[in-house]
Amino acid sequence: METPTADDLLQFRDYSATSATNSGTPAQINVNSPTHASGGGGSGIGSGFVGAGGSSSAQRQRGDPLADLIYDMSTSAHAMAGGGATNLQNAPIDGSGGAGSGGGSGARLSFLTIEYYQQFFNVDTYMVLERIANSMIPKRAAGNYLRMNIGENPDLYGPFWITVTLIFSIAISGNIASYLHHASDGYHWHYNFHLVSYAATCIFLYANILPVILWALFKYSLKPIDDADAVETDSATYTPTLLSLMCIYGYSLAIYIPVSILWVINISLLQWLLVITAALLSGTVLIAVLTPALRNSQFSLFLIIGILSAHIVLAAGFMLYFFHNPPDSPVTMPIPTAAPAPSVLKAVTQAAKAVLPGNRTR
Amino acid sequence: MDAKLDMFEDVNTSPSPSLEGDMSIPGKRTTTTTSQNGVPDYNTLDEPIKETVLRDIRAVGVKFYHVLYPKEKSSLLRDWDLWGPLVLCTFMATILQGSSSADSMSDNGPEFAQVFVIVWIGAAIVTLNSKLLGGNISFFQSVCVLGYCLTPVAISLIVCRIILLSTQTRLLFFLRFVTTTMGFAWATYASFIFLGQSQPPHRKPLAVYPIFLFFFIISWLVLSHN
Repeated sequence: METPTADDLLQFRDYSATSATNSGTPAQINVNSPTHASGGGGSGIGSGFVGAGGSSSAQRQRGDPLADLIYDMSTSAHAMAGGGATNLQNAPIDGSGGAGSGGGSGARLSFLTIEYYQQFFNVDTYMVLERIANSMIPKRAAGNYLRMNIGENPDLYGPFWITVTLIFSIAISGNIASYLHHASDGYHWHYNFHLVSYAATCIFLYANILPVILWALFKYSLKPIDDADAVETDSATYTPTLLSLMCIYGYSLAIYIPVSILWVINISLLQWLLVITAALLSGTVLIAVLTPALRNSQFSLFLIIGILSAHIVLAAGFMLYFFHNPPDSPVTMPIPTAAPAPSVLKAVTQAAKAVLPGNRTR
Repeated sequence: MDAKLDMFEDVNTSPSPSLEGDMSIPGKRTTTTTSQNGVPDYNTLDEPIKETVLRDIRAVGVKFYHVLYPKEKSSLLRDWDLWGPLVLCTFMATILQGSSSADSMSDNGPEFAQVFVIVWIGAAIVTLNSKLLGGNISFFQSVCVLGYCLTPVAISLIVCRIILLSTQTRLLFFLRFVTTTMGFAWATYASFIFLGQSQPPHRKPLAVYPIFLFFFIISWLVLSHN
């Protein structure tokens, strides 16, 4: 649709409906209203087609009417210009679209509706893949990644499904590792379902409690602002939101998924090498991404050490608990077979006591 | 069913003679698919119970058939029911449960309740994920599809159980592995056909991956059962 000229506007003509494009509702403009209609944004999120407009609308803060007007007009412009593969960097430019406060600005949406949670799942396939790649390769993400990319659109899809995948990959690989370790002994292997529960507890605690602690520490250890240096106040008071931290931590666990599959190979040196490499890579990424926030904190050195050590402890803990079996050597051979020996004895005595027909051996 | 209706009116209000007419209801249709979910076009009050039960069983059977040969996809979504998933889940949980006899060490297979929870809560979480990503499918339709698509996995469980009756060798383990993999691939493919259309295209892999994970975990339970 070509932009109308002044002559066109002065004539009384019908213009074709702008809803020929993909947006479900026509663009709306509210002037001088304290809250602008988020209906377009809400349904835009719902249909998943409007990228730029829909993502930021739920995070709008109640700013001044002028900012609202600018936002509305740019939103409708974006909706008409085509919402194809829109990058979030094209998000409407307004000053109040700062660190996305996903929780606080839900003034329009009740947290009991499903639309409220849809704003945290507003990601496309390529975005999820981008974020996973950014979490594994240091320095791949831009300097303002935390604030501009994750902060604007924190998603819960990645962290949730990466933690679930990690739990099951550790449980399954742990079972495979113990099966392979005992296969040569004639040890009757059975499936250990408790691995799932232990792995789940560990990983959920790490991915959820640690961001909360970090968020609290960031908030309360903010460096006092020097009044003479007033230019820097905006970035100097920046603390990441809780959702951004959970997002970052969730994605940082992604590197352990292929590593946990490789831990099945029962070569001790290889296992330790994998632990160190994975922890270093994702630890470096964590520190690099969190740098803007760490700069503003008083305890920056302690926080860095804390983050890195938690990461390394988690990785080493996984490896040692689930995967580390002593290598088979003539000296240590009695040890693995000593464990099944009492159980075999027990089974034999019980079989002698009562023979149940069709008893399944477990 | 024909009925005769005679209407007698007051002589004061209308001088016309009494009305006569026929009232007939169309005969009972034997189709199992109706245009509206659960609303039959005929009077079900008079039919024998066997007919009522058989109608539902026929509906469930049709859905099993459509899962095994996923060509026509509308019937599963339109007339969803949860009988099939319940039967399959109970069956699989019964076979998969670990024995709680005295000689068991701490290592055991999953309990009945664990399998149950994994199937139902897993289906619910996968459905919730689809809805949160913006899919336009209702909650129970999606749970119905995921439950019915467990059919190939249940078939592979039966085959594995039969294979387990003889003493185990590497070849038999490989056979079990192949059977389980085929069941898993079939289930994922069938559910992808049914649920794939309801997602916006640039998010389809995001919605399909949890379905893949769900069937992978259940196939893993089937494979590791011995």
